[in-house]
Amino acid sequence: MSAAAEAQLPAPWRITQRRQDTADVFTWVVTPLGDGGISCAPGQFNMVYAYGIGEVPISIAGVDGDGSLQHTIRAVGSVTRALAGLATGTVIGLRGAYGSAWPLEAASGGDLVIVAGGLGLAPLRQAVVQVLAQRERYGRVCILYGTRTPADVLYGGELAAWAAHRDVEFAITVDRASAGWGGEVGVVTRLVARAGFDPERTTALVCGPEIMMRFTAEALLKRGVPEGAVYLSLERNMKCAVGYCGHCQLGPHFICRDGPVLPWPRLKSLIDVPEL
Amino acid sequence: MTLRELVESQHFCRGLSPGQCDGLAACAREHQYAPGDYLLRQHAPADAFYLVLEGQVEIKLALPGQGIVTLETVGADEAVGWSWFQPPYRCQFDARAVTPVRVLAFDAERLRALMERDPVVGYAVLKTLVGTLSERVQSCRLQVLDVYAPPAGMS
Repeated sequence: MSAAAEAQLPAPWRITQRRQDTADVFTWVVTPLGDGGISCAPGQFNMVYAYGIGEVPISIAGVDGDGSLQHTIRAVGSVTRALAGLATGTVIGLRGAYGSAWPLEAASGGDLVIVAGGLGLAPLRQAVVQVLAQRERYGRVCILYGTRTPADVLYGGELAAWAAHRDVEFAITVDRASAGWGGEVGVVTRLVARAGFDPERTTALVCGPEIMMRFTAEALLKRGVPEGAVYLSLERNMKCAVGYCGHCQLGPHFICRDGPVLPWPRLKSLIDVPEL
Repeated sequence: MTLRELVESQHFCRGLSPGQCDGLAACAREHQYAPGDYLLRQHAPADAFYLVLEGQVEIKLALPGQGIVTLETVGADEAVGWSWFQPPYRCQFDARAVTPVRVLAFDAERLRALMERDPVVGYAVLKTLVGTLSERVQSCRLQVLDVYAPPAGMS
């Protein structure tokens, strides 16, 4: 088999844990059968295959010490709804890891602002875990998270730990409050203006719906963060995941191969073009 | 920091003369609110313009049959209230302190008179007000878009 074909061959992984995060979002821990583990970096994604139904790109939300991975998935289409119905112990197909990663190495020594919107927290989770494990390598670290309602907040227990971390500025906001919510209400972009970081020495990692990322990037630029230091993670209709099929093309970029993490200068003229 | 220095340190005072800052300071007072205290009450006279120095304020609206809904929260360096600028000078929403809040409160009637007398001051304050309105409108648009709702056509 050619290397290109082999890169598209799913390996069997077992769902060893399953957690329902919100009404339509769940998280798996998956473990390779045999020695089929993968090497990956925060920000990359895997293609997850529901046998006989289809394959979807899912960001890697966590890497456990034993080679297991975490995937957080929203049941929103035919494949992801099928994945949602799989029980612990089921074997799924998985290939990866694909795509570009968050520039954590390049960001070291400066301030780091991590802005997540909704399910966009999942592709950033492992980056946060890695940054907190090597906290001394960064200046100020701000984690800003916006989501739809209090019921849509992901990783509640972990967020509490991040918020309690003495060397992290953590802020969470919801677009729509419900009774009992005592936190911030409003869009996540407004948290950028209040966060304590030095714009000129900041790297920003942003993930969420594209319209949220666009306004967040603009808020970061307004604060003075250099364009080249603002990184976005894009979601597109990845199929082959290796830059052959073109389904995920955005202008000159194949998001599966050149992305999903791309710097703002390469996206700013593309991100609000309706035809793309 | 004296009240005069506090007023002068505000963004909208950049470029104003010492005399113009004195005029603004004469309209201002510093005030603190405990959690749960109201800065503004729906339908009440809008007699002040607030700049939040510290703390968090929630903007709330009573919806018949649904209770009181928090529309947004406002923090340090943000303005609260613009009903003071336009007749009938009545608050449209409630604004309540969530945490201990410290504000610069400008007396609306005196501030309007100062802005009428000195258009340079008026323009500086108005720029702050329009900036606030512009940010709030943009935020509202994004909230209305419901950007985190499940996307259609996904696999």
